[in-house]
Amino acid sequence: MSALREIEFRDALREAMSEEMRRDKRVMLMGEEVAQYNGAYKVSRGMLDEFGPRRIIDTPISESGFAGMAIGAAMMGLKPIVEFMSWSFSLVAADPILNNAPKMLYMSGGQFGCSVVFRGNDGAGGQLGSTHSWCVEGLYSNVPGIKIAIPSNPYDAKGLLKTSIRGSDPVFFLESERMLGNKGHVPEEEYLIPFGQAAVIREGTDCTLASWGRPVHFCMEAAEELQKQGISCEVIDLRTVRPLDIGTVVRSVRKTNACVVVDQSWSFGSPGSELASQVHRHCFDDLDNYVHRVHSADVPTPYATNLEQEYLPNARKIVEAVRSATYNL
Amino acid sequence: MPINVTMPRLSDTMEQGTVVKWHVKVGDKVASGQVIADIETDKATMEQSVFDDGTIARLVCPEGKQVKVGDVIAVLAEDGENVDAAASAPATGGAAAARPAPTSSAPAVSAAPAPARGPVVADVEAVAVDGERARVSPVARRMAQEMGVDLAQVAGSGPGGRIVKRDIVLAAETRGAAVPAARPGAQSLVAASASADSGASGGSSGALAVAGVQSVEVPVTTMRGVIARRLVESKQQIPHYQVSMKFAMDAILAMRGQLNQQLAALEVKLSVNDFIIRACALAMARHPFFNASWAGDRILLHQQVNIGVAIALPEEKGGGLVVGVVRDANLKSLRQISGEVRTLGEKARTKGLSMEDMSGATFTISNLGMFGVDNFTAIINPPNSAILACGAAIEQPVVRDHQLCVGWEMAATLSLDHRVIDGAMAAKYLQSLKELVEQPTLLLV
Repeated sequence: MSALREIEFRDALREAMSEEMRRDKRVMLMGEEVAQYNGAYKVSRGMLDEFGPRRIIDTPISESGFAGMAIGAAMMGLKPIVEFMSWSFSLVAADPILNNAPKMLYMSGGQFGCSVVFRGNDGAGGQLGSTHSWCVEGLYSNVPGIKIAIPSNPYDAKGLLKTSIRGSDPVFFLESERMLGNKGHVPEEEYLIPFGQAAVIREGTDCTLASWGRPVHFCMEAAEELQKQGISCEVIDLRTVRPLDIGTVVRSVRKTNACVVVDQSWSFGSPGSELASQVHRHCFDDLDNYVHRVHSADVPTPYATNLEQEYLPNARKIVEAVRSATYNL
Repeated sequence: MPINVTMPRLSDTMEQGTVVKWHVKVGDKVASGQVIADIETDKATMEQSVFDDGTIARLVCPEGKQVKVGDVIAVLAEDGENVDAAASAPATGGAAAARPAPTSSAPAVSAAPAPARGPVVADVEAVAVDGERARVSPVARRMAQEMGVDLAQVAGSGPGGRIVKRDIVLAAETRGAAVPAARPGAQSLVAASASADSGASGGSSGALAVAGVQSVEVPVTTMRGVIARRLVESKQQIPHYQVSMKFAMDAILAMRGQLNQQLAALEVKLSVNDFIIRACALAMARHPFFNASWAGDRILLHQQVNIGVAIALPEEKGGGLVVGVVRDANLKSLRQISGEVRTLGEKARTKGLSMEDMSGATFTISNLGMFGVDNFTAIINPPNSAILACGAAIEQPVVRDHQLCVGWEMAATLSLDHRVIDGAMAAKYLQSLKELVEQPTLLLV
């Protein structure tokens, strides 16, 4: 029975939070409209009723304020979850989340950890314009001391979020507004997914496609199309970019001799460029071509639908990149 | 913006070209239309002009190096542009996005690498082209070492001639399993090797050698390579068969003698082959499948009769074979055909035929009569479906009207593509040809 259970991405997130809150009284949720409105995207629906206003807290529209409050609470031993309505809004909280949370354990000589989870929508949601469409992993993955999870499906979302909440380090948990309604199999029994373990979600022989988050779906679409063209792709869902499971990618590239990295953040100084660099280093003698990358275009996110579509990674761009990487132009 | 001059596609079949000679050097000012290089294609050596005014900033492709169509061969700085900057700018093939230049002194281009897409592969390669170092992908290099493949014997199929994985796999397969790499023997002498393969296609296989015999290596010219490739293709892919017939040549020789005498003042000199060309062309009206091509799932009947004439090039000039084309030969008089064939022959032997001169044959004739050959067979010139091989008109004992007498005869042998033409069709075509040749007044109208 449970093997057949399919739930939405948003429900998987809520299940993870609720289960951890039942398990550990130190866990709490705060953010804009998470309580009385049941969450701007209905992720926290029903949680106020179950856990009450002391643990499900509506905050003012002040990311800097409530992010800093969460970090302080974490330093004092609580385990807050902070929902950013959009990760784009986390930019105004850059000092607490980048300058305090990841460095606290180090700067306090191990006296204060910072067990806090920041989560919310990342990436282009669909005509949200330049300032509300950030892929913050491009910026934030540069900072040591942070763990970053970017799940692509409900099963991974639940397992990774539970791991995030239970851990003792600050975690940036990046969701996508475009995937919250996606349904997928999530068993009723409890499970956790460790960080730094990529999943090979499609096996292939000619080219490795490495991605995370929403573009994983574009990779699968492209792999399907490429299969018709006689090119067999192995698709790897990294699931977390910090830590980065380079081993799984390397094993795959040693087999395929070609690699395309798909990352919806901008190309310059991105998780994608880091992954490509590591593949070049570890697979130098295994590569038949340089690692190709598909990113969002190097411009502010356009508002117009057609331009936004063209701006983002998509299956067509991935197909082109794979054909180029495998000398099938 | 620097302007890239790329290897042009000078014929339908051209995939690679060689810059035989540069007529310009770095720093030379050039004007639109000016010839800057001689390019050897699979068929001919042709002049390459530029389409812009400017200054030569960089000659990317060294003389003698074969590169793919579309690869950058030179970079032109526009008027007023800094030549050094243009020279160091990334050579972008085709309409690809700008890529970061490899040096910090390069002009400002987008700092971000463009997302990978189709044509950009060529760019970086073009930047790297200099010197003689073979470009090999890392895995190809490793596999070559593991499999004992000599990289010098492998033709790269990647951008800019980069040797990639599939080239090594192919080389290893062609060579056959477990054959050691080419031995480091004497430089120009081929070391004996027991292994043999069919390297006639001029492909990537190692040199063939005869045990215990020293041989001298002769490099293969582009033309020789094309002859090898196309004829192997033809013989391997086309189900050839031959049908022969002898023609009485008395009437045609008499008429030829008479015409040449009468037209001597006009410097007209008809050859037997001119008559054969006209006869073959006229016969097409009744036999359209001899002017046709096999196209896999259908046959193309060509609506124009262009007769190709095989022209041997003098051995002292390297030899070789080209096919000159007489267009619309069915619509041309003997005199016109004769004039065109002579012009083509002279041009082929002196400065070389242009692409125009050599393209579009729908049927081909090879004639070795002038060398006294009595008969032979020819290999079909794709995409033709037939070729006629003519021997010499020979005076010999013949039977005419139940009488043994002396007469002139010529043997003609058709090689045919059985996918298009069956034996009885070939016989009928030869009958038509016989009628035209033996009653040559038909060729005058």
